[in-house]
Amino acid sequence: MRLLAAVAVVAALLPLVPLAIWSVSDAWPYPSLLPPSTTTRGLSLLVAPRTGAVHALALSLGIGAAVSVLAVLIGLPAGRAVGLYRFRGRRLVQLALLAPVIVPGLAVVLGLQVFFVRYGLSGTVPGVVLVQLVPTVPYAATVLGAGFANLDVDHERVARTLGAGPVRTTWSVTLPLLRPTIVAAALFCFLISWSEYVLTLLVGAGRVQTLPLQLFAAIGATDTTLAAALALLVVVPPLLAVLACSRVLSGRSAAGIGLGRL
Amino acid sequence: MKRHLLGALSLAVLLAASACGAGGSEPSAARGVSVDAGDWASVLAQAKGQTVSWHMYGGDDALNTFVNGYVADRLKTYGVRLNQVKITDTADAINAVLGEQQAGRTTGGSVDAIWVNGENFGTGVQAGLWSCGWPSKLPNAKYVDLSAPAVANDFGVPVNDCESVWQQAGSALVYDSAKLQDADVASVSSLLAWAARNPGRFTYPAPPDFTGSMAVRTILYDTIGGARSLAGAFDAKAYAPAARRLWTRLNGAEKTLWRRGSTYPQSQGQVEKLYASGEISAYFTYGPGAVGDQVAKKVFPATTREAVLAGGNIANSSFIGVPANAAHRAAALVLANVLLEPATQLELYRAEGTYPGIDLTRVPPDVRARFAAVPVSPSVLPLERLRVDAQPELASGYVTRLEKDWTANVLQR
Amino acid sequence: MSLPRRLRILLLLAPALTVVAVFFGAGVVQAVAQSLGYQPYLEGWRWSTDGYVALWDDPAVRASFALTARVSLLSTVLAAVLGVALALLLRRLGRGRRWAAGLLQADLAVPHLVGALCMLLLLGQSGLLSRIAHGVGLTATPADFPGLTADGFGVAVVAEYVWKETPFIAVVALGALGRATAELEGAAAVLGARPWQRMRHVTLPLLVPAVSAGSVLVLAFTAGSYEVPLLLGRPFPATLPVVAYQLYRDTDLTARPEAMAVAVVISALSLAVVAAYVALVARLARRAV
Repeated sequence: MRLLAAVAVVAALLPLVPLAIWSVSDAWPYPSLLPPSTTTRGLSLLVAPRTGAVHALALSLGIGAAVSVLAVLIGLPAGRAVGLYRFRGRRLVQLALLAPVIVPGLAVVLGLQVFFVRYGLSGTVPGVVLVQLVPTVPYAATVLGAGFANLDVDHERVARTLGAGPVRTTWSVTLPLLRPTIVAAALFCFLISWSEYVLTLLVGAGRVQTLPLQLFAAIGATDTTLAAALALLVVVPPLLAVLACSRVLSGRSAAGIGLGRL
Repeated sequence: MKRHLLGALSLAVLLAASACGAGGSEPSAARGVSVDAGDWASVLAQAKGQTVSWHMYGGDDALNTFVNGYVADRLKTYGVRLNQVKITDTADAINAVLGEQQAGRTTGGSVDAIWVNGENFGTGVQAGLWSCGWPSKLPNAKYVDLSAPAVANDFGVPVNDCESVWQQAGSALVYDSAKLQDADVASVSSLLAWAARNPGRFTYPAPPDFTGSMAVRTILYDTIGGARSLAGAFDAKAYAPAARRLWTRLNGAEKTLWRRGSTYPQSQGQVEKLYASGEISAYFTYGPGAVGDQVAKKVFPATTREAVLAGGNIANSSFIGVPANAAHRAAALVLANVLLEPATQLELYRAEGTYPGIDLTRVPPDVRARFAAVPVSPSVLPLERLRVDAQPELASGYVTRLEKDWTANVLQR
Repeated sequence: MSLPRRLRILLLLAPALTVVAVFFGAGVVQAVAQSLGYQPYLEGWRWSTDGYVALWDDPAVRASFALTARVSLLSTVLAAVLGVALALLLRRLGRGRRWAAGLLQADLAVPHLVGALCMLLLLGQSGLLSRIAHGVGLTATPADFPGLTADGFGVAVVAEYVWKETPFIAVVALGALGRATAELEGAAAVLGARPWQRMRHVTLPLLVPAVSAGSVLVLAFTAGSYEVPLLLGRPFPATLPVVAYQLYRDTDLTARPEAMAVAVVISALSLAVVAAYVALVARLARRAV
């Protein structure tokens, strides 16, 4: 049992080992098992203005924040409708909300690209934010729907009986009760947006340089040190975000679905 | 009932989104210059405060340093900010402008300048994408020999004053002299013979990668004895027998290539990575000057050398093109002018070893002397050796056809 | 003022459904239309099935079907099996369990693009495993090490998907294995069931709904991923999304309908998977009752 657990841990960490080593090695010729010398060249290139990594980091953070806030705001009312009410067509709506999570975004956005160009959204940050709503809004709505389904409506009823208006009730009763689900939904929408490559490439037309685009270009170039350093930079914010919300992810909540998108 | 209402709502939104603004497109003619390059003072005044979005291949670190350093600083003195947009394939930038044109955006385009040549320039000409009439009016155009064939023709397409020359490239073979002797790199035949004796140590990227396409053309030139029989516009009758011989030769040599020819690297970057890790010992390049930098960084082995294969040196020029719908045309013109300055061309040569696009006989003698004085890494061939027996490029019609047929006849075989 | 119930539901759903209709619904409709020849803002287009004819004739697309199916199905099955095994293993751990769970969650945060780079550096012919093989004397040159990246089967692609999706399935399975499961298993043990019988009749059936939901998501993702097969695979054969994007970027506009046709096929196949899954779940639910 211990042995199996150890094997699992090694398998989980092994792919990250050469990445970490490359990020601090100057030249690491085959067949050396360890690089002959270490360097901070990769890490210092990260902060160099001409690499554009800092700008890309800010852009990715900004877009991720905007997308997760928007997706949760749009998904909350939809989640309430699907989670709390039984109505004709509910299954259809659930399916409509699930379909964009299943159908690859590329297949959907290829047809829309010409309209993004027409309305001046191509190559702009708002355009990228809009297109990233495609995988995130349905996801947020489904997760929040599950959260609402688990909600005990009596709390709201009591608050209303005590004289609180609908806004006050939502703010002071419903949202705090839903906090774990909202946090989980926002977290996953942020992670989806953070890792998004091909949709940003398509709509951003190469002008919106988020971190994944920079990383992809670096992977194709000859400087493996820079690519590895950039990859480490790409990993850190999501790691921090996940660790900060780790209690939410402990498996009990309905938020466990859909992480495969990441 | 409400379900039907929902359905109707969705349908209405769908139809609206699909049909909105479907007016006829604008006639796709080449547009004249609303910014008159002849009045340079007004161009400079308009350019002040603008940002020029220059879409260019971004996989060359040394070139990026030069562009974001020296060129950006020069532009700053004119009040122009440089936004280098790194792309992996120039076709992406052409597609972006094409898409904008098709969507009816005739002004305020997102692409101000493109580093372009060849098929991509030709595609733009066909679609009427380029702003024309300005390159000859640039102040620094006096350093350019506009009538030279390498400048007046771009892969067989007449330039017609629609793009301004920047640099010239010549192909070369980069190899590890510890693994290949001088005799092995004398010609394509000797190279392929060496590959037969040392299988798996040579490859080229899959066309339509720009360098992969050049590798195929180099082998084609060697197979049919030069570019003369395929000069001029695309001729199917001349093409067919030449192509047949080429595929036979390439397929025959396949087993001696990397991974036994079962696959090819997707890009030139991947090929250079294979060379850096020692998995291959030779590769073709359009940028022989940049190799010195890699050797200095110890990414490439110190025994790296370059050779020009007999009858297999292809030279071309690359240019700056400005789309007709560019939002910051004045700034783009200033950029093209800055790139033609002898000092800029010297700096580019110093950084990249790139052959200047300007005519060195037209620059002052002291600048010419500074060109000659630039130290060259032992891994890089000096300029005169690189220009030996330079062949012209084929017309872009041949290039496109070769790329398509390579995929069908070699890759998918 | 209380709105009528139906209207309230409609208003609540409106923002999300608008996003879905405008970006997803219209996108699919546009892909279908453009695959049949519709070219918005371009004069002189006409309806035709040329896109689908070209798709059928294109060897790149035909080879792509087999590769995409193989890679996505294999990755999903492996991730499901290993994920369930991992979840059961974690349940058995006493100390170190929170530590292991944290490791799982950390792996979930790694973007697939980074995973692809990791696999390149680990499984490449000059990667870490190859160097270890050289160190112990198994290989002499990079070429002696098997070609796991840029290979025809998709080994590195499957490896990356399995590495990233196994923890995901494990998290989903752990979520389904709550306290109730332990009680049921305890009851079964008291009644004399052996460990294997407990597993087969109590644990696994409780896992099936959640794990199959997660597997559908994994299947859909692996079939629709673009950057991982592009970095770790071959130019030919390539997976369907890669082929679609390459056709889309072709400056020859006659390739556009074919690109849209591939997009339509991708959408249709994924929707078919969802429909099949929903039907299966409905049937299992009816049987369980």
